[in-house]
Amino acid sequence: MTSLAQGKNASPRLKSGLAIAKQRFVNSVTIPLLLYESLAIFVLGWAFVLMFFEYSPGRLGGPILGLGGSNPFVGLGHFIEMVSGNSVRAVLFRTSLRNTLIFAFAVLPLNLLITLPLAWLLEMVSRYKTLYRTIYFMPVLTSSVGVALIWMSMYDPQAGWLNAILRALGGKPVAWLSDPRAGFAGVSIAMWAVILAYLWQDYGYNMVIFIAALQGVPQELKEAAMIDGASSWQIFTRVTIPLIQPTLLFVCVMTMLSSFQVFDIIQVMTNGGPNNRTEVLLLDIYKNAFRYQSMGWAAAEAFVLFLVVMIVTVIQMRVLRTRWEY
Amino acid sequence: MSATYAFLPLARRYRRYRRHFQQGLVYLLLTAGLSFTLLPFLMMIFSSFKTNTEALRVPPTFWPQHFTLENYIKILNDPKLPLLKFYLNSTFVAVFNVCTTLLTSSLVGYLFAKYEFRGKRLLFGWFLTTMMIPAQITMIPSYLILARLHLINSLWGLVIFSAVDAFGIFMMRQFCETLPNELMDAARIDGASEWQIYWQIVLPQLGAPLATLGILGFMANWNAYLWPMIVLQKIEVRTLPVILTWFNSTHTGQPAVVMAATVLIVMPILIVFMFFQRWIVQGFTMTGFK
Repeated sequence: MTSLAQGKNASPRLKSGLAIAKQRFVNSVTIPLLLYESLAIFVLGWAFVLMFFEYSPGRLGGPILGLGGSNPFVGLGHFIEMVSGNSVRAVLFRTSLRNTLIFAFAVLPLNLLITLPLAWLLEMVSRYKTLYRTIYFMPVLTSSVGVALIWMSMYDPQAGWLNAILRALGGKPVAWLSDPRAGFAGVSIAMWAVILAYLWQDYGYNMVIFIAALQGVPQELKEAAMIDGASSWQIFTRVTIPLIQPTLLFVCVMTMLSSFQVFDIIQVMTNGGPNNRTEVLLLDIYKNAFRYQSMGWAAAEAFVLFLVVMIVTVIQMRVLRTRWEY
Repeated sequence: MSATYAFLPLARRYRRYRRHFQQGLVYLLLTAGLSFTLLPFLMMIFSSFKTNTEALRVPPTFWPQHFTLENYIKILNDPKLPLLKFYLNSTFVAVFNVCTTLLTSSLVGYLFAKYEFRGKRLLFGWFLTTMMIPAQITMIPSYLILARLHLINSLWGLVIFSAVDAFGIFMMRQFCETLPNELMDAARIDGASEWQIYWQIVLPQLGAPLATLGILGFMANWNAYLWPMIVLQKIEVRTLPVILTWFNSTHTGQPAVVMAATVLIVMPILIVFMFFQRWIVQGFTMTGFK
């Protein structure tokens, strides 16, 4: 009894002591964190301000962050120039925006056409599953520079394998990465070449995610459909696909996000050529900011890329979410 | 085989034939995909053992006709290419960044999961927002800051903006929420300080998610290209992917040597993957993060 009474007496003091200790712990984590995050906010704010200036780090500007003076304020000038300007950089921006959209909208359906059936097939077999999965996943972990170099040697106009196959079939060799006129379906052949290399590197990733989703589909539902006389194709389209809809949404959004930000493979393989046929937004941003030192313009371009990514993501979420209501 | 089928009624025999045929077709398709995945790798490896004249031959050979190690010897003896130094550069950046993000992610994630404090929701909302902002938005001002701090061409420049990872914090919060409160309370009754609870009680519980986050972070850092290329402009401080493109541009017309360099830079990580493949694949599916 005495101990209970003691406990009762002691509890407010103990609690407040504990509360103080907890508060001290919280403070010692959050204060450095807030300092670090204020740096992040500062960086973000700087990025936002930069796009309203004609800023180049080589010029001596005003006192605050080098803005003003010989780095003049242009307001929305960059965006107006992007839409209606005839300057070289404005035309190149529009080309790179179009190329980025072509790239992303070609990659997404092609990727799904490869990864979803592959995952489905892999789920049907009983042996060597891990072996298949491991090998399919290898390109994902390969540095994109390595991937680009491997594919560049495949695309080599003389000693490359693709032209060797073409010649063996009696076709004419193609300059895959350097012929601006050659094209297929209205898109230049160089663009298709980088798309193929990108797909090769990327499909293992989505496949593994689809495998995990397919394993989550309850076996009873498939069996029930089979008893009702559904073919395996019907089971796939009517039972499996609706059940993995959330994964499908996730994969679509992530694939789009990463293909809008494609850089490594294209920079190494073509550096935007031939004749700007593969110039994509991030590559254009990189060149403007770090080669031509035109950082205000590049910051405005980066903001456009961000907006495009946001808009496409929101649209995808709308379209795919309404489907999983029922 | 046919003897067993003979006893079955015709319809069932047909169905079994069909199933075998289907399985065979599935394996065939999967193996076709497998070859498509594997052939570029094999081509890279075989080319690296060819002489340069053979690598340039039209039509190309698949197997090296004159197996040679000269490309590897040339790279490893090249005084302008201290490969060991570049490996150390890449390892330093990857290990340092992984360690700091694991530490901050587990600590802040634990804080968000198990403590109540003012402004918690606001701070967490801020982290979720920063997860959505792509790195190329902040790339330019980050570079300008590094330039002012004289950290261009320094490996520290690759480190200072990577100490806090919003995604890691988010993931660790999810895991810490599953830990029972009794665990920490028992330690408090035993007189442990809050830091001791984090270090000795919570951290050991987070082994699996920390390993996942660590492996994925290592891969991402090891293969990073754009940001290291911007920050590391001098050759001797570069990381492996950046050095590989530089090597390629200085060895045009020598595909065998370039392929050997690619093998030396690409293969180590793939061999590591062979050992940890189950964990890595699980990690990728669990987090959906690249």
